[in-house]
Amino acid sequence: MHSNAARTIGKERMREWIGRLMERAEVLAPTSARAGDIILRRISSPLEVQWGGDIPLLPPKQAVLPQTDPLVSIGRGPGGFVVEPVYDETPRVLFGLRSCDVKGIEFLTRVHEYDLADAAYLRRAAAVTSVSVACVAPCAFGFCICCDAGPFLADSFDVQLTDLGDRFLAEVGSEKGGRLLEPSADLFRTGRADEVALRHELEEAAKRAFGPETCHFASAMRRVSVGRVSAELWDEIADTCLECGACNFVCPTCYCFSVKDQARDGRWVRCRTWDSCQFRAFTLEASGHNPREAHRERVKRRFFHKVSAQYFRRDGAVGCVGCGRCVKVCLGTSDMPAVVAAIRKGEWHG
Amino acid sequence: MRRAHAIRGRRRVTGREGKAVDPVLTTCPFCPCGCGFYLLAREGRTEGVIPSASDPVSRGRLCARGWASHEAPAWGERLTEPLLRHDGRMRPVSWETALDAAAGSLAAMRRAGRTIGVLGSARATNEENYLAVRMARGALQTPHVGTCLSPAYQPLLDGLHDVTERHAGSGGVADLEGCDVIVLVEGDVAVTHPQVAGAIVRARKAGCRLVTIGAVASQMTRLATLAIAAPPGRERAVTFELAAAALATGRLDTATIVAAGETFDELRRSLAGVEVSKAVARAAGWYAQAQRAGIVVAPLVGDATDLRRLAGDVATLAAATGHLDRDGSPLLMLPARGNLRGACEVGASSAFLPGFAPLSDEKAASRLEGVWGVPPARETGLDATAMLSAARGAVIVAEDPSVVLPAGALAREALGRMECVVLLDAFATGALELATVVLPIASFAENDGTVTGLDGRLRRVRAAVGPPGMARPGWAVLGAMLGRLGPAAEYESAEGVRREIARAVPPDAAPRWRELDQVGVAPKGERNGLRRRSLGPLTPCEPVEPAPFVALWNGVFDWGRDPLVRYSPTLCRESVAQRKLFPGGFVELSKEAMERLGVRQGWPVRLKSAGGEAVAPALMRADLAAGVVVVPFALRDGLAPAMGGRSVASVAVERA
Ligand code: SF4
Ligand code: SF4
Repeated sequence: MHSNAARTIGKERMREWIGRLMERAEVLAPTSARAGDIILRRISSPLEVQWGGDIPLLPPKQAVLPQTDPLVSIGRGPGGFVVEPVYDETPRVLFGLRSCDVKGIEFLTRVHEYDLADAAYLRRAAAVTSVSVACVAPCAFGFCICCDAGPFLADSFDVQLTDLGDRFLAEVGSEKGGRLLEPSADLFRTGRADEVALRHELEEAAKRAFGPETCHFASAMRRVSVGRVSAELWDEIADTCLECGACNFVCPTCYCFSVKDQARDGRWVRCRTWDSCQFRAFTLEASGHNPREAHRERVKRRFFHKVSAQYFRRDGAVGCVGCGRCVKVCLGTSDMPAVVAAIRKGEWHG
Repeated sequence: MRRAHAIRGRRRVTGREGKAVDPVLTTCPFCPCGCGFYLLAREGRTEGVIPSASDPVSRGRLCARGWASHEAPAWGERLTEPLLRHDGRMRPVSWETALDAAAGSLAAMRRAGRTIGVLGSARATNEENYLAVRMARGALQTPHVGTCLSPAYQPLLDGLHDVTERHAGSGGVADLEGCDVIVLVEGDVAVTHPQVAGAIVRARKAGCRLVTIGAVASQMTRLATLAIAAPPGRERAVTFELAAAALATGRLDTATIVAAGETFDELRRSLAGVEVSKAVARAAGWYAQAQRAGIVVAPLVGDATDLRRLAGDVATLAAATGHLDRDGSPLLMLPARGNLRGACEVGASSAFLPGFAPLSDEKAASRLEGVWGVPPARETGLDATAMLSAARGAVIVAEDPSVVLPAGALAREALGRMECVVLLDAFATGALELATVVLPIASFAENDGTVTGLDGRLRRVRAAVGPPGMARPGWAVLGAMLGRLGPAAEYESAEGVRREIARAVPPDAAPRWRELDQVGVAPKGERNGLRRRSLGPLTPCEPVEPAPFVALWNGVFDWGRDPLVRYSPTLCRESVAQRKLFPGGFVELSKEAMERLGVRQGWPVRLKSAGGEAVAPALMRADLAAGVVVVPFALRDGLAPAMGGRSVASVAVERA
């Protein structure tokens, strides 16, 4: 078993640690890209890690459920078609994640575990270890506090770092996490009581820093679950949605997909690709019939899945980790906090 | 074997096998909003998109097409080797053979005095379009050069020029968000130009008044503060009234009036008797009084004269009220597809030399002679449709004319009659069957160069992966052809072509082509309000005979058959389903009209006009005016006989 005792690592030793992680795994971390955006990608040097920038617009979902995800390779053999599953079990460390994103991966893993376990997803996810950095201040559009997904994590993490100034406190939350620290025991020392106390003070301060106007799921859940939202309201909301699908693509908990074969040098690779419940074609049937033809039905579907009591009971959480990405990427104005407020108040201010 | 004029651009940018390469910053290849984002690739295949929050246009927001732009290059049917038709069959050949055959046939046709046409494309980069122009007006000495979509866009630019002496509007998409009033001459921008629609949605949220003008209701008209119904295909009737009403408000811009002098008084007198509806008067008042007011003109059906006058109306409206070139008051003409503005700017046009230099401009001609080594052909060319029926040979860059041209299937027949069709494309399209020589080129994901957004911003396109098989970047292939056709042309890179464009366009347009940073460059130094010291005249809209039904196309472009949509598993679905369900097309009618005709959903109706007739199933559309019949542009071929080759037609409708 891993030891739960917190450790600390001096900031000057961080590079060394990341370097050692890179020897054993692909390390993905927030980096600064060409136009200045912070994006999560594979690093080739510990110097590339960007600390404390904006949250990357694409969540780490891309590391467990890529936009184009090869599942099966189909080729011709002597006796007919040969079908082989494609697994990606590359060891990966997702370094510098936010708390909400750790919760997002946990959510996705839960979804892919039940009913028919999804081997392609689970094998890739099993090889992923996260090192998250607790948020000592709310980010611009985040409301993780409303979804129990941050700013600090009490569970679900592999390794959680807290910035204590000149050092980080490192908490180990899983065996996988423990394995990241073990070979580098020389870089860490046992955390002191005052360091652990400081971590808790920072957590309380971070929580207090969230304003009262965030995203009140509970009352919205009551209304959505019993269908107490009028068709007119859904229509109004739908008119401000441009069906871009971005809310689904950047959502750490969304996993709608389509499956299609890609031709590759005389073979076919059956791929799962990101899809969106906001697309009219997502539910379009071969006969031309569409059970969610009206735009409002699609918008309603999205929020029913995310905030209804029915799904809350199944998933153990709302389908939102409060990362605030949909606020940034929504081409219209129908992001999660805006719609939750509209459901609660019964009126739309889009 | 010939050594000179080998094809450049073989640089491969893929990572090692199995390894992901760094995300590559590039520009969306679909609509002309020109959103920037990063393309992700692995094993030489594009596999995803990352939005860019710092992108000046998208600011991290992309539409469904942008999000799926990695798909078509990786999933599509790609052209990977040069093909030559021999005894009626296409055979793979070497680049040398293909280029020699293409250049040889074209040169022979030129010597024989045969008509040759060259088509650039809104799907190609500025560099590729420019080289197509150089090939036409330079090497082949033919004035017949353009794009399939220019006829629906160039008149709007000409109308702006009539008022402002500039073939451009002003401002950008983001400016719309800060507007107090937006006048939208609507097609269906939520579908065609989602980033523009997004800016309008956010402006509405911030309290902006939205005035829409259109014959058919849309998502934007539902959001409108005031939706003004225009007669089908006659938005011009409303814009004329709007300009007249604004000039009557008295809230006009003193500097413009002083500059316009007598012409202003004349214009005002000529408009004095114009009858203005209450709704239009209200809209004109809002627009004239606003601090920041935007005008957006979506791609419209209609004839060139009407489009030109419509642009003149709105430019006059903006000038007279002081909004022309005012910061925060954008005036935007939306090209139907990606790089249409850029194609027109670099000279893919029957009526202009690169940089909108008039054909009669001696300085421009000698400048081009200096760059090209031959004086440019300076006659006015035929537009794409006329060119295809007149020409015996054609060079077509990244287009399937029968899909894009309004003439549809007729364009296909015209191509079929030609002696030589040289086709450059990255994707297999219907045009393949009609080509004599096929030259496989890179798709946007494998190409370097620039495109021009609807706001005039030059934006970079960067290769995220190498082109498949033997395919090469379009600029390199066109460069190699130019090398064979002479006089000599050598390009090392797309940058080299861009530097040449800077020398080919008029000096005041040149800096923009030279100064490009990471994300591109916005037009500047071109904003100076009314350059012409006159205003007007404005021509009233001619009345039309009232008809029980007017049928019109629902747009000017079919995204469904654009290869980037057709080959994207995510984006193609609706169009595929529609074609499967309605192979011969359908028409949309109002509930009232269907009741009157006694038809139910899906029942056949007959459309008749002076030109002919056609039968198609009728579908009900709730928000349609009683006398309007909507014909999907995508399925126009089936209804073509009844429309008599027009985009708007008076028709009789009966139960079939
Ligand atoms: S991001 Fe916004 S506009 Fe896009 S589909 Fe979601 S709600 Fe609609
Ligand atoms: S709005 Fe236009 S440019 Fe932007 S992502 Fe969509 S298609 Fe591309």
